[in-house]
Amino acid sequence: MEIPYNVELREDTGLYNSKLGIWLFLASEIMLFGGLFSAYILLRTGAPVWPPIGEHGSIIHLLKDTIPHATFNTVILILSSVTMVMAWVALKQKNLGKYKMYLGTTIVCALIFLVVKYFEYSHKIHEGFVPAHDTYMALYFTLTGLHGLHIVGGIVVLAYLWGPGISMWNSEPERFTNRIEVAGLYWHFVDLVWIFLFPILYLLN
Amino acid sequence: MSNKNLGHHITNYRNVFIYLLIGTALTVIASYVDFNVKDSIAGAIFVGLLIATIKGYLVAANFMHLNSEKKMIYWILMLTVFFLVLLLFIPLLWNLNSLSY
Repeated sequence: MEIPYNVELREDTGLYNSKLGIWLFLASEIMLFGGLFSAYILLRTGAPVWPPIGEHGSIIHLLKDTIPHATFNTVILILSSVTMVMAWVALKQKNLGKYKMYLGTTIVCALIFLVVKYFEYSHKIHEGFVPAHDTYMALYFTLTGLHGLHIVGGIVVLAYLWGPGISMWNSEPERFTNRIEVAGLYWHFVDLVWIFLFPILYLLN
Repeated sequence: MSNKNLGHHITNYRNVFIYLLIGTALTVIASYVDFNVKDSIAGAIFVGLLIATIKGYLVAANFMHLNSEKKMIYWILMLTVFFLVLLLFIPLLWNLNSLSY
């Protein structure tokens, strides 16, 4: 049986189904991260000193050292958002070569982001700033960890659409283009979350 | 979508990319500027979050195409934002609660 409204728009919503689906999913994601942002506000306003001072002192000096890494990662994620949307444009232009180049660049950017994050985590853990050190570190690892998991999930989906999933282009090109648009919406959301995490975790302390 | 429209989109994406890079640089520079009044960091937080909100709007409006979407998506997002604001104000309610004791 054929799944309806993969390409054609529903009369009542004006959307194809997967687009409505991804926006409902993103709404739940907004509430997920919103809950953690709410916890951040509560813990920060309730703390006499921010970031709190724990067994190894305050993270503040180490944070200043990691600002260049975090800024680099911000630029990398913004670049990945641009290449993601350009991959969709390439499919609209029916240029599969360009699509593979842009989506490949998006995946490489995502991997670079994770490598930088790995070094950042290692440095902090090596200095004793583990999640149990203080409430700032607990929030830092929870928020960036959850965001990192979203990056990993995105890489898996994008790698599928770059590799084996591309076969759909030959049989149903419009449906495949819609898949890229939907995957792009998810990816831009991940970028959007980082745009807020960057100042609140690294800069405004 | 015509090729002319796609060309317009590409120019727009390139411009937004440049604005986002400028926004990122401004966020970092602003974190070194002293906006604070009477030892409060509120001024710096306001400026930092204002720039982040503008950057977030640029991503949502242009890359996620929210500047020209269907009504159904706007309704879903308005409902979500309503509950999000409620969620973000819960800490404030907590503080008000402690004032009565």
